[in-house]
Amino acid sequence: MALQNEDKLEVGYSSLQPKPKKWVLLMLRLLAFFATAAATVVMGLNKETKTLVVATVGTTPIKATLIAKFQHTPAFVFFVIANGLASIHNLVMIMGDLFGQKLDYKGLRLAMIAILDMMTVALISGGASAAAFMAELGKNGNSHARWNSICDKYKTFCDHGGGALIASFAGLILMLIISVMSIIKLLIKPKPDSTIVVP
Amino acid sequence: MIKPKRLLSLLLRFIAFGTTLAAVILMATSHEKGTFFAVSYEAKYTDTPAFKYFVIANAIVTVYGFLVLFLPPGSPIWRLVLALDLVFIMLLISSISAAMAIAQVGKNGNPRAAWLPVCGQVAKFCNQVTGALVAGFIALITYIILLLYSIYNLLNPLFEKA
Repeated sequence: MALQNEDKLEVGYSSLQPKPKKWVLLMLRLLAFFATAAATVVMGLNKETKTLVVATVGTTPIKATLIAKFQHTPAFVFFVIANGLASIHNLVMIMGDLFGQKLDYKGLRLAMIAILDMMTVALISGGASAAAFMAELGKNGNSHARWNSICDKYKTFCDHGGGALIASFAGLILMLIISVMSIIKLLIKPKPDSTIVVP
Repeated sequence: MIKPKRLLSLLLRFIAFGTTLAAVILMATSHEKGTFFAVSYEAKYTDTPAFKYFVIANAIVTVYGFLVLFLPPGSPIWRLVLALDLVFIMLLISSISAAMAIAQVGKNGNPRAAWLPVCGQVAKFCNQVTGALVAGFIALITYIILLLYSIYNLLNPLFEKA
């Protein structure tokens, strides 16, 4: 009778694995994936072309086309790369969660997930802040350095960039929550050795 | 007698505190005045919000580093220190990233936006800002080492089992 109770309690303890937490983490990762992917795509396709008439020779006007692309600014290139890497990371983590439950490298699975999550948070925060300050410079210019603002000329470029920035910041907050949850999972992992003794 | 583990952690935290302090001082005292073709200009760190953010972020981390230096070992607050380390690493990364983005434009300009580089005229200012960025980088790497070291110490019981 006592042995049966012990077996039942051990089985009960292992099934106390936080199931609702698993789905919450998965949903958060999905949302973060969408946010960072949206930021990447919107900024990656950010392009505005303007044609202006520079001079008129006789009757034919000479046009000059000015293009504003995200590749012109290294900060935006870093932003696109960082968000791209973050969305790939989230995708891999979601796949690993859904299909690769047995994959465990020497028992370090949770530690690897936690460290990778922290690295991704760092990457996104760097990319988002660089792009944010560059966008502020583009919007307001800098009178001390005699840099004119470009947002009044390229309004769509600025609007799309702003949207990508908002998506990236949302992704950053979500990734921060995910990272904290991964670290908590790492620290309160139940030890498989402990058995509950029935008095 | 201080244990070597504690000594290493203390040394790393002191280095981190020192480098953030250096970054703040270097950036805050970067100041240059001059004339360029009868146009007088002045370059200060307050000209750009990115540099102001850099100074403020590194100042916050300096104060935090100073307070943690005096935390006695074995206190339960060390778990909070682990969490705060992660938050402040994020803050440091974002401040360095922002300052570097603006500094890169200042050094190379952006011909498509008709932004001319300014480092030719304010070379001393540019050099000091570069120095502050380097100090910030070293502080960031030290904090990352500290975070990994704390996680390793926390997880050591887990590793011994595997």
